[in-house]
Amino acid sequence: MKRTVSIIIITALIWMGCENRTTSPGVTDTEILVGNIQDLSGPIKELGLLIPAGTNMYLDYINAQGGVHGRQVKMVVEDHGYNPMKAVVAAKKLIEKDQVFCLYNVIGTSPAEAIRPILEESGVPLIAPATNSSSMSDMSRQAAKYIFHTDAGYDLQTRVLIDYILENNPEAKIGIAYQDDDYGANALKGCAEAEANHGISVQKESFQRGATDFVGQTMNFMKGGCTDVIIGGVVREPVTIMKTAQAIGYSAAFYGLGPTVDPRVGLLAGEAGEGFIAVYWAYYPDSDEPGPVLYQELCEKNNVPAKMRGLYHYYGFATAHVLVEGLRKAGKYPTRKRMMKGLETLHNWESGVFPPMTYNRNDHAGVESVIILQLQGGKQVAITDWRN
Amino acid sequence: MTSLFTDINQEIVSGIALGSIYALIALGFTLIYKATEVVNFAQGEVMMVGAYVNFFFVTQFSGMAGGLNGWVFTAALLGSIIFALLFGIILDYIINRPLKDEPVFSIIMATISLAIILRSLTAMIAGPISLVPVSPFGNNTIKAGGVVISVLDLAIIICAFILMALFFFFFNKTRWGIAMKATSADAEAAQLMGIPVKKVYRYVWMFATLVGVISGVLLAPRMALLDTTMAYLGLKAFPAAILGGFGSIPGAIIGGILMGVIETVSMGTLSFHFNWVKEINDIIVWIVLIVVLMIRPDGLFGIAKVKRV
Amino acid sequence: MKGRYDDENLKWIPILIIAVYLSPFLLKSATFSYKYYLYILNMAGIYMILTVGLDLLSGFTGLMSLGHAAFLAIGAYTSAILVDQAGLPFELSLIITPVIVGLCGLMIGFPALRIEGMYLGLTTMGFGFIVKRLIIAFRDWTGGSAGLQVSKATLFGFTISNDWNNYFMIYTFAIIAIIVARRIVKSKLGRVFMAIRDSEQAAQASGINIAKYKMLSFFISGMFAGFAGVLFAHTNHFISTDHFDILLSVYFIVMVLVGGVGSIYGAVLGTLFIVLMENMFIPLFKDTLTQYMHLEAGDFQAFIFGLIMLLFIIFQPMGLYGMWLKMRIYWKLFPFNPRKRFT
Repeated sequence: MKRTVSIIIITALIWMGCENRTTSPGVTDTEILVGNIQDLSGPIKELGLLIPAGTNMYLDYINAQGGVHGRQVKMVVEDHGYNPMKAVVAAKKLIEKDQVFCLYNVIGTSPAEAIRPILEESGVPLIAPATNSSSMSDMSRQAAKYIFHTDAGYDLQTRVLIDYILENNPEAKIGIAYQDDDYGANALKGCAEAEANHGISVQKESFQRGATDFVGQTMNFMKGGCTDVIIGGVVREPVTIMKTAQAIGYSAAFYGLGPTVDPRVGLLAGEAGEGFIAVYWAYYPDSDEPGPVLYQELCEKNNVPAKMRGLYHYYGFATAHVLVEGLRKAGKYPTRKRMMKGLETLHNWESGVFPPMTYNRNDHAGVESVIILQLQGGKQVAITDWRN
Repeated sequence: MTSLFTDINQEIVSGIALGSIYALIALGFTLIYKATEVVNFAQGEVMMVGAYVNFFFVTQFSGMAGGLNGWVFTAALLGSIIFALLFGIILDYIINRPLKDEPVFSIIMATISLAIILRSLTAMIAGPISLVPVSPFGNNTIKAGGVVISVLDLAIIICAFILMALFFFFFNKTRWGIAMKATSADAEAAQLMGIPVKKVYRYVWMFATLVGVISGVLLAPRMALLDTTMAYLGLKAFPAAILGGFGSIPGAIIGGILMGVIETVSMGTLSFHFNWVKEINDIIVWIVLIVVLMIRPDGLFGIAKVKRV
Repeated sequence: MKGRYDDENLKWIPILIIAVYLSPFLLKSATFSYKYYLYILNMAGIYMILTVGLDLLSGFTGLMSLGHAAFLAIGAYTSAILVDQAGLPFELSLIITPVIVGLCGLMIGFPALRIEGMYLGLTTMGFGFIVKRLIIAFRDWTGGSAGLQVSKATLFGFTISNDWNNYFMIYTFAIIAIIVARRIVKSKLGRVFMAIRDSEQAAQASGINIAKYKMLSFFISGMFAGFAGVLFAHTNHFISTDHFDILLSVYFIVMVLVGGVGSIYGAVLGTLFIVLMENMFIPLFKDTLTQYMHLEAGDFQAFIFGLIMLLFIIFQPMGLYGMWLKMRIYWKLFPFNPRKRFT
């Protein structure tokens, strides 16, 4: 009995593997297919739900208006579990089997880096890789001309924050808590630039991804006499560090990089988080620019639950603008080459969600300036202009 | 030398709190290993399931009671404990029984697949969005002798020691405990002596899930956000369990606390004074472990087994 | 466990080898998206080389290793550095890297002389963490946590650039690796390994130098992993510490176990089964299913994977190879109630 069942299962699996589909790459008369690779089962699977949800909200809005040149934009999401190896498999599947028109929003630095050889080989563009690492827009690297990066890098964010701190208090002693992976390495790069510019030295403390305890690091900042501490974390890190600091009676000004602009930081940190300053590189969800306003409107219309709204949902919504613009620029008969050419013509493009953006042959960097936000009474308030 | 050791007291106290969490997870490993010689790789996942279940109960009960209060947390804890006992019985049925006579290798793999299943099933049921657990002790802290500790941490430490004492007493003084010891020494002989081996195994799994769930309940509020990555703490508790010697109850606690203190101090004082320590912060526990194992291959409190041909 | 090769039938081997070389052509004519399937097969081929080596260590010598992803990482990074930064030809790297990784294996083999069973498994797991951290620490050579781009392989003046060429290179080496492993198992060395696994004391009493052979087992296993690492680096063209997660080591053990511990063919079958299932069958199954119902795809995939593994271990603890043996004996002895003859 067991044997029969196993044989049936295996045969069924093999039969499913042999199913075949041949269509032209990604574009039909009514539809454009876009591939997205997210982490749906790994350490950041929360983002794997939120980001595509945000994207789909915008795509639905565009499709309801008749789509792009009469074609509906459809997105397929694959999982990589934050494993570059699986990202490559997923990219192969999307390109070879599902025949997508372009890739979009591959999340994580190492997964996005890992699919460079495939982009090079197949000539498929990658729009808005979901990582703030500046290596994505480095034009000297492999397949760089196929990658259109949107996010401002962590190095830029760190540098601007340090500039800002020193502007307000030239005597400040700055500390930075960095995650010891590519996120942290990127932040440290910006930190090193700022150190060279200002002739200061920044106290650096590392923590691991997923760490829950920050007593050691907080104590070190206190011992080092830091007046201003930059936290290169996501949500848990700034919250825990600020709470720990409050508990041991250490008062300093706390700052965070892009991923800390999450409403939950204010929610969880409570009074310890009041005055927390963070940098962000798009029009933040609460502002009154056209993009964020549309975002709030669509959220209301689609009854997006409150726990889903926020930084990452908005991220998917915002980067979808670039995707749709690229598809528009690709013209009535879109090819991958036309799409890339079209995106490279964008000059000071006002998307409503990002500050004016420019792409050209030698610049695929997208947003290159950031804004500084402060947590005031649980709400993010812009306290500076755009700077870089 | 005083400058080197400024504030080290605070770090040690925080390290003990962190270590008590490792100790609680390690205790779960130890209980199962003691009776069945199986290393349960899913212990971290059991803890995570416990945290989720407790969160569910807290939300449900607070909805019924119309707000959070002490009774809600007590009732949720009781609910989680009942769940843990049932869960242990289920795990005994699906992992332990079918694989009774298989090589240890297979059982370990079964626990690994169980870990994958639990993690994905939890995420499928609860959704991938992180939850925000509430601490029954709020943000309260206690200050004593220049050292600060949160009430939650204190509760974790106390809980770890109470559970250790309970199980230590249980294994050494009660009939059932001695029956369990006998089963682990030789299951067949124990059966012939009239010990209900099946029941022994079931109780062991129930105890282990109970410890796992309690540690999950206590740990969740400490994490600020609750998601399935919490299960990876199980991996970090391994060195603690081995350091103390798998199968030794005081060993698990002392190993856990040692690991917690080493981790916190290396992240704090050590990396403040020696820059290169930052590079090895997250592997320092493993280095300590390998060095200890080279000297004592059965861990600090493990007892070497006599081998026969 | 006794040796399982006594009644082996070798005449199928050449046919199998020819089938391996013919299958990409079949695949190409059968489906338009053959590159996707080839890539997965390539991955299985690389892992096969490693799991065969792991089987020699864990299955035959009885030394559990949860750190084989680290050996793979050392191999990949060493080769990348040797070829791209030191300028060594790829062919030379194919010889030097496995030896270097084998020496790293010796380093781990040294504590293994005293540490046993689960303790050893977890020590090697710690080794995995340590290697990952060291790769990040030597960021001048390895590129740190940002990862490292690797050049394409050039074998005797012939650049191996796409999945098609990769397939033939990888499977040629995989077949060589499997043959070598089979020779080892069949030789005196293999019997010594099995003697150590079955009873260390008995082996020692028969005059076997246990320390020497345990170290040797680690060395050989490391060499296989190093070899796989070289191919891994030069066919993926990008390596980072995220590739060599601790979970990968666990998967390697799973592959050996699903195939059947202590059989070379088992390791090969298990690798194929797990890699194909995880990367091909389950995603396609999910694709078919999502047409009819809405589900959280990623977790669903992981859930199915875990479930299949658990059911497999519970119902087929002998692994795929054991299943095959059972089936064969069933047919051989067909009318005579064969169920009772095989236990």
